[in-house]
Amino acid sequence: MEGNSLRGFLEKLEQAGQLVHYTDEVMPEPDIRRIGRAAVDIAAGNTGPAVLLENIKGYKGKRVAINVLGTWANNAVMLGMDKDTPLKDQFFEFARRWAGGSDGELKWIKDAPCQEVKITKDINLYEILPLFRVNKYDAGFYFSKASVVTRDPEDPDNVDKQNVGMYRIQVQGPDTLGIQVLPFHDGGIHLRKAEEMGKALPVAVCLGVHPVISLMASAPLQYDQSEYKYAAAFMGAPQILTKTLTANLDIPAYTEIVLEGEFVPRERFVEGPFGEFPGSYSGSRRQFRIKLNTVTTRKNPIFENLYVGRPWTEHDTLIGLNTSATLYFQLRETMPEVKAVNAIYQHGLTIIVATDNRFGAYAKTVGMRLASTPHGTSYAKNIILVDGDVDPFNLVQVMWALSTRVRPQKDVIVIPNTPGMPLDPCSEPPGIGGKLIIDATTPAAPEISREVRMVDSIPEAEPYQKILVDLQKAAAR
Amino acid sequence: MKCVRCLTDNAAKVAEAPDGSKAWEVYTCNRCNFVWRSTEEPEVIDPEKRDPWFQLAGVEIESIPVFSPVPPLKK
Repeated sequence: MEGNSLRGFLEKLEQAGQLVHYTDEVMPEPDIRRIGRAAVDIAAGNTGPAVLLENIKGYKGKRVAINVLGTWANNAVMLGMDKDTPLKDQFFEFARRWAGGSDGELKWIKDAPCQEVKITKDINLYEILPLFRVNKYDAGFYFSKASVVTRDPEDPDNVDKQNVGMYRIQVQGPDTLGIQVLPFHDGGIHLRKAEEMGKALPVAVCLGVHPVISLMASAPLQYDQSEYKYAAAFMGAPQILTKTLTANLDIPAYTEIVLEGEFVPRERFVEGPFGEFPGSYSGSRRQFRIKLNTVTTRKNPIFENLYVGRPWTEHDTLIGLNTSATLYFQLRETMPEVKAVNAIYQHGLTIIVATDNRFGAYAKTVGMRLASTPHGTSYAKNIILVDGDVDPFNLVQVMWALSTRVRPQKDVIVIPNTPGMPLDPCSEPPGIGGKLIIDATTPAAPEISREVRMVDSIPEAEPYQKILVDLQKAAAR
Repeated sequence: MKCVRCLTDNAAKVAEAPDGSKAWEVYTCNRCNFVWRSTEEPEVIDPEKRDPWFQLAGVEIESIPVFSPVPPLKK
């Protein structure tokens, strides 16, 4: 069942030419940061490989995987598609899998690979894991791609209310973690309930899982939707889980590294800053703390982490299509004219929607609908609407729509003083913002527009692309 | 020892390179929770060269904001 694991996915990447082994000696800082940055920068987040670092100074014998899902080529491999697949086609395959919802099957096994090695005393994460500082002014060494598992303390046997969430985590001591969980997160609800009861909430931090688990952990699923069931439906195969050693928590059986422990109840500790996805540092905050009691790993585990900072980074790729698909389905519940949603920019602070106009000025209503979805309320700051036959993932087409459709006096709307995203560096005060709606669709009746004829697209031209590319390859030989 | 960020005497060594190479040591501050490795760039680990924006010298811990307030106990 390696197909269910990080290792299985790395094998697939290697077969597709999307994994490289870095065997020259590197320093934990600043080299790993620079290599992670470089991997995602190749062709602007499109074609760079995942990197397995195998020779880290001071950590002989330990391995770091970075940029595993950093680029669209790697994302295509995850979707079982050719690595050159255009983003719009990846979006529709993603949406098709996403529509499977929470119907997936779960299976539990004993003696799982993730528990081949057990450490229950003298835990020192600085020595067990090849940690590194992601950005220069981060407060320490962070887990930027951890899947954090908790249960609802008021309904502890409910698998659907068990949460798998991705939160930033700072290693603050040999067996101590600082973690940012916000009140609106599902994990934040578990924590609030536990603290109201005065209880220490058990937690498992999973490092190095199949990318579909990371995808679900970072997706805005509903409170009682199981990330594991979603992952199983998405992959078309059961999710193989096991129980942690110290609590009633389910973890992916093939996880590379599992940290088990408890939240320290009713206290907060300094955490941050951390270089975040808008490309800015968060401030220092007082946040939750986890005390670890057990670490389990596979033999010779791989420590996976991601580079996040000035976009484009793996963070953008990881959450790009799950944010897009969530909004796409929410809009289409009442607005079937919506053809595609591109919310890949800064977790959807800027969103492009392709939609037909059911009647005049309809697209503006689509924009307002988007702004009032659960995610769009705080995100969806800049909303661009394009015609249904424009590919919202193709910025050449989007710019063409802006250039030739937008009448500034009619099509640009600014709504001031709305909820904003605190991590947006121009949200002032943090959490307050505004909405910009740009309608770049063609006017429909009863709106009157100038009589023009646009040049048709030529779908029949597409097959010739392959012929020309093959001729080009032959000419280069 | 002195923390390079909050400049109080609350830091200590917590780890050495696990392969026995003595390549570096790791230090943590148990007051502001800053963590650093002895081999990092001077702009990270030298208080004189760190960007003052990121320093916590003279900052009271209690004045640092909380995003998730502690809720009242339910009886």
